[in-house]
Amino acid sequence: MRVLVVEDEPDLRGSIARALRDDQYAVDEAGDGEEGLYKAESAAYDAIVLDIMLPGLDGFQLLERLRRTRKTPVLMLTARDSVKDRVRGLDSGADDYLVKPFDLDELLARLRALIRRAANRATSSIDIGAIRIDTAARVVTRAGEPIALTAREYTLVEFLALHAGSVVSRADLYEHLFDENDNTLSNLLDVHVSNVRRKLGERLITTRRGHGYCMEIPE
Amino acid sequence: MIFQSIRWRLQLWHGLLLLVVLTGFGITAWRVARDSYWRQTDAELQETLDRLLRPPVPGRPHPFPPLLEPPPPPGEISEQALNGFRAMLMLNMRSSNVKNGYLVLWRADGSVAAQTGSTPREVPRPRDSIRQASATGRARGEYREFYRFLPFGDVLLVGRSVAPELAALDTVKLWLLAAGVTIWLLGLAGGWWLTTRALHTVDVISETAEKIAAGDLSRRIEVANTDSELDRLANVLNATFARLEHAFEQQAQFTADASHELRTPIAVVLTQTQSALARERSAAEYREALEACARAAQRMRKLVESLLQLARLDAEEEPARREPVDLSFVAGECLEFVRPMAELRGISIDADLQRAQCFGDPEQLSQVATNLLANAVQFNREAGVIHVSTFAENGTAQLIVSDTGNGIPPEDLRRVFDRFYRVDKSRSRASGRSGLGLAICKSIVEAHSGTIVAASSDGAGATFTVSLPALQEGGKRVHTSGGTHTLGSGV
Repeated sequence: MRVLVVEDEPDLRGSIARALRDDQYAVDEAGDGEEGLYKAESAAYDAIVLDIMLPGLDGFQLLERLRRTRKTPVLMLTARDSVKDRVRGLDSGADDYLVKPFDLDELLARLRALIRRAANRATSSIDIGAIRIDTAARVVTRAGEPIALTAREYTLVEFLALHAGSVVSRADLYEHLFDENDNTLSNLLDVHVSNVRRKLGERLITTRRGHGYCMEIPE
Repeated sequence: MIFQSIRWRLQLWHGLLLLVVLTGFGITAWRVARDSYWRQTDAELQETLDRLLRPPVPGRPHPFPPLLEPPPPPGEISEQALNGFRAMLMLNMRSSNVKNGYLVLWRADGSVAAQTGSTPREVPRPRDSIRQASATGRARGEYREFYRFLPFGDVLLVGRSVAPELAALDTVKLWLLAAGVTIWLLGLAGGWWLTTRALHTVDVISETAEKIAAGDLSRRIEVANTDSELDRLANVLNATFARLEHAFEQQAQFTADASHELRTPIAVVLTQTQSALARERSAAEYREALEACARAAQRMRKLVESLLQLARLDAEEEPARREPVDLSFVAGECLEFVRPMAELRGISIDADLQRAQCFGDPEQLSQVATNLLANAVQFNREAGVIHVSTFAENGTAQLIVSDTGNGIPPEDLRRVFDRFYRVDKSRSRASGRSGLGLAICKSIVEAHSGTIVAASSDGAGATFTVSLPALQEGGKRVHTSGGTHTLGSGV
């Protein structure tokens, strides 16, 4: 999962990014509105954490412009907690709203919920046949037995599972699993996929030549 | 207590007054009616009495003239003549048609000489002590009588029962009473209506005031555009409410801004500690988190100090310390303080510091100078210039600080002294400034009875002018135990 954090206070931006990276998100950062909008428009993020009080372009303006092209889920951060501000935030296209100061756990939970909703999932666990992916605990089990996955492998499985039944291109996968500073070679994807196949079963992920990968939903 | 309400007291007084007036009126009316009855009756009786003594046949001489005119006839009057006279009286009485009338004739010795059949029993003879020649009237129970002492000693009395008149008067009394009570009740109802109408505005005012007291400060009393006393009161109250609301809003805005400013550093501390503690970190990561927390804490400390200072300045009318201060000296000191910051950005300082004596708290005044100079450094362009000058002019001590930065947009010029107002939100926040510096400057300068003005032509830097009442040479300010008074410090 790839997340953009737009926040002008460097210390706050840093701690949010660190917490997200700890949870295996690919994280990009932006320190002002212009940069935030540019990044938000140029890459496919799974979610955006957006501060309202930003230099240059404020959060409301950024959101308004972004909504013309993208439906990326947006979690707004603000120090203003009046009902008026919250209504304005939600009305201008934000998907959720968090008032400063907040707990990181809450921020992470809300982000997970946003990403889940964007993929039309109602609960935090996804069942693909005997395999269950618990997105809150970040654990994959098969028939109740936990399966050891590396962080990258887990994100790969989670992303494919969120889009189970449909084909995910290699470019999409690459974009959602690695942040802008990650120079990992794209053939590393194949390595991760083959590792996941080894651990979860060969038939779980099929390769569509020239299109990408697909997590099949068993009949 | 119900009688402490204005409405009830008004009603009580109104009722009492109305009662007194109506009673007075009723009694007078009844008396007039009664007197007019009695006058009529008396006139009738007197007329009868006169007629009895007139000759029985009009136009002919009286058969007994000596019996009527004083002085009394000499010698004995024959009993026969008297009897004739008495018979004539009886005859006259019968022919007079006095309704319910009667006649009594006493002899000089007190015995009844003649009386009509309808005479009530025991009519007392008028006493001799009030003996007089003319006809005299008297009221006796339900009878009214007229009598006359005749020259030869007889007393002639004509009377009649006034029972019908008394009954009529009783009816009049009853009517008057009924009418009075009706009018009184109508008056009370009218009074109640009038009071209600008059007090309606008061009710509206108190209702609105109650709602305002309950917290809805946006409410106002509806005023009919008349110039009545109550409407004027309502207008005064509305103006007061408006001022109250404004002050309250300002305070609420200030509190909201203050808490808003505190939220971001608190969020930094919370998220930094939470993410650092989430798992084992390297020493460098811990250091980074601690440094971020320290920065946030410093920012909060600055903010809290500024808030505290503003609160103190708000609470105090005048600065605690008052002593002669030379602005040129203050500015010079502060200049040395900001010079390193200025040099770091290649900014040169052009100072023209002339003696400018004023009276005040040197620490607070130096804070004003430092704030203005620090702003001038911060909002200047690289390698810009800061002009600082102090001088005395027209009874004022002035400090002028100007920079060569981007200046202040005209729409922001008026608001730069507002609390938490920032012209450039990004720059000030990133540099950890609270947005209170100029507000504090303004509070301090105003506490010193001075003025502070910002001026800027867009793009050509900003100029701040502080103007304080000057301390005249020879010390024209008088220090008293109660405070300081300025003599002749006006412009």
